[in-house]
Amino acid sequence: MEIWSALIQGFVTAGTPVNLMWAFIGCALGTAVGVLPGIGPATAVAMLLPITAKVDATASMIFFAGIYYGAMYGGSTTSILLNTPGETASMVTAMEGNKMAKSGRAGAALATAAIGSFVAGSIATVLVTLFAPLVAEFAVKLGPPEYFMLMLLAFTTVSAVLGQSTLRGLTSLFLGLALGLVGMDQISGQARYTAGVPELLDGIEIVLVAVGLFAVSEAMHAVLFEGKVVESQNRMSRVTMSREDWRRSFPAWLRGTFIGAPFGCIPAGGTEIPTFLSYAAEKKLAKDEYKAEFGHQGAIEGVAGPEAANNATVTAALIPLLTLGIPVSNTTAIMLGAFQNYGIQPGPQLFSSSAALVWALIASLYIGNVMLLVLNLPLVGFWVKLLKVPKPQLYAGILIFATVGAYGMRQSAFDLFLLYVIGVLGLVMRRFDFPTAPVVVGMILGPLAEAQLRNAISIGEGSPMVFLQRPMSVTILVVVLSVLILPHLAKRFATGRRQA
Amino acid sequence: MTQDRRNPSFLQALVGLGVVAIALGLAAGALTIPSAAGYGGVGPNFLPWLVSVGLLACGALILYEVRSGGFRHLEETGPGEVPYWGGFVWMSAGLLLNAALITTLGFILSCALCFVLASRGMRNSQGQDTSGLAPWLKDGVTGVLIAAPVYWLFTKFLAINLPGLTNSGWL
Repeated sequence: MEIWSALIQGFVTAGTPVNLMWAFIGCALGTAVGVLPGIGPATAVAMLLPITAKVDATASMIFFAGIYYGAMYGGSTTSILLNTPGETASMVTAMEGNKMAKSGRAGAALATAAIGSFVAGSIATVLVTLFAPLVAEFAVKLGPPEYFMLMLLAFTTVSAVLGQSTLRGLTSLFLGLALGLVGMDQISGQARYTAGVPELLDGIEIVLVAVGLFAVSEAMHAVLFEGKVVESQNRMSRVTMSREDWRRSFPAWLRGTFIGAPFGCIPAGGTEIPTFLSYAAEKKLAKDEYKAEFGHQGAIEGVAGPEAANNATVTAALIPLLTLGIPVSNTTAIMLGAFQNYGIQPGPQLFSSSAALVWALIASLYIGNVMLLVLNLPLVGFWVKLLKVPKPQLYAGILIFATVGAYGMRQSAFDLFLLYVIGVLGLVMRRFDFPTAPVVVGMILGPLAEAQLRNAISIGEGSPMVFLQRPMSVTILVVVLSVLILPHLAKRFATGRRQA
Repeated sequence: MTQDRRNPSFLQALVGLGVVAIALGLAAGALTIPSAAGYGGVGPNFLPWLVSVGLLACGALILYEVRSGGFRHLEETGPGEVPYWGGFVWMSAGLLLNAALITTLGFILSCALCFVLASRGMRNSQGQDTSGLAPWLKDGVTGVLIAAPVYWLFTKFLAINLPGLTNSGWL
């Protein structure tokens, strides 16, 4: 019952006019950045991090959360109407959604995406409400060795498992860890890699890295390679679903939710795996009469399932963020940065030390989902107009916002030069297919993981054996190793069988 | 249009060498960090060394991949994709001038300048006709129309310091 009274208190806080306004602006802005190509939720939250200097913690976390899941709603609009997904999470939606739109069913695809996002987002929020406090209670018992292992797991999955190449993922992770090393060492106070520059004692701002890697490099990539790309937009139709659409969508939403939510809970990052899994499941489970629609006219299940899985994953990803302080995606990593700006360290104590904030944030998820349903169903026509913004003005405009984010944090023109350098780095990484998420996660989580490592070894009185002496930490270590080794073994086994 | 005639494996090798160079730089820096570990057993120089060695290994493996047939599992880039460096120069000029002039010109004008130059690069890359004064003027006005409200929003509403041409807080 404690949960309910805490949640009601959360609704009271989140329901104040000011907080409602922040939630609404966040949702609207999130939908906009989801719709617009070239800018995603991670970039948007990063650019707006300077507001943490003035706006109070609860309001800004509600605002950032609105951007975070609002972008998931907006992303589906772009991927259905345009054949270029606004963010990676909606890649799968694009496959069937686009086919549906081409055969004149854009409206039904948009409707099932929005309602599916709402259903999945709401169910996942209930899961967050019920399970986050339990996980937090359990997490209190974890010590530095277990935390270090959990962070190692997050590093492994984000760099080695997602993406095309383990080698390039690990390279990105080490780059991120290196960026995180700059500044004062948390434990000994020793300055590292500051080259005598006093500004660097505080470390490199996460805003700078995120905005440079995502926004500036995106604009550079567009000007270098995308000038001649011609985009075609599908025709809109009325945003409604027939009875049959409802009948086919509903089970797909639920299946998508239950595939997606567990993926968000574990520090295994990314929405790619759950959305693809959900797509595969829908294709397999579809009735024979609808099977032929997949890949041809577009099957509504193929939009409904993955969209639900996507939203369930991103909402459930708040559980590891809030209870363990472990981010599993770019956006949650930057939200962790926002918490840190307030001197708040997410983790098991968050539920007792900042209970008001956490519960207001959770309550705002319920409110935000309703706002987004309204923003994305009746008002979808408004967002579609955003797709008409010409590319030159869009990217040039993004650079103005990038300047605000990078300059606003520390008021240093030097940071703007650094922003350019990081933009070029991001461009090279993108050209050679190095993933960027490990850089951001490594940079934010690196210093925390280092502190846990050193504390753990202190507990072991200088011996690294401490990681093997505690059952929980050994278990996670085994998981880490199997995550690293199993996919390769499976691949080898598969090729071996094919040759046999 | 400039044509990038270089061999892709040459560029990949450059990337590998870059990673090795960063790793060596990090190792050189790690040498200067004292190892005072106390009774923890692990000092502030442990992670720097770990990162240097890890990155060096990654760089070496990347170079090995380049020598034995190029990057693995690289996403296919279209054969017609030729970089348009002219546009990149315009955009770079916009970003770097913005960095150099923001404290002198103030946020609004400096960002508007960045907008004009970046937009010109994009227009050229799309093959738009950018001759005459009209596109410059149009972009200049659009740039100010975006930068000014952003400036007011951040300085007046959120009280975040952004540089102005005057001290009025409006320009």
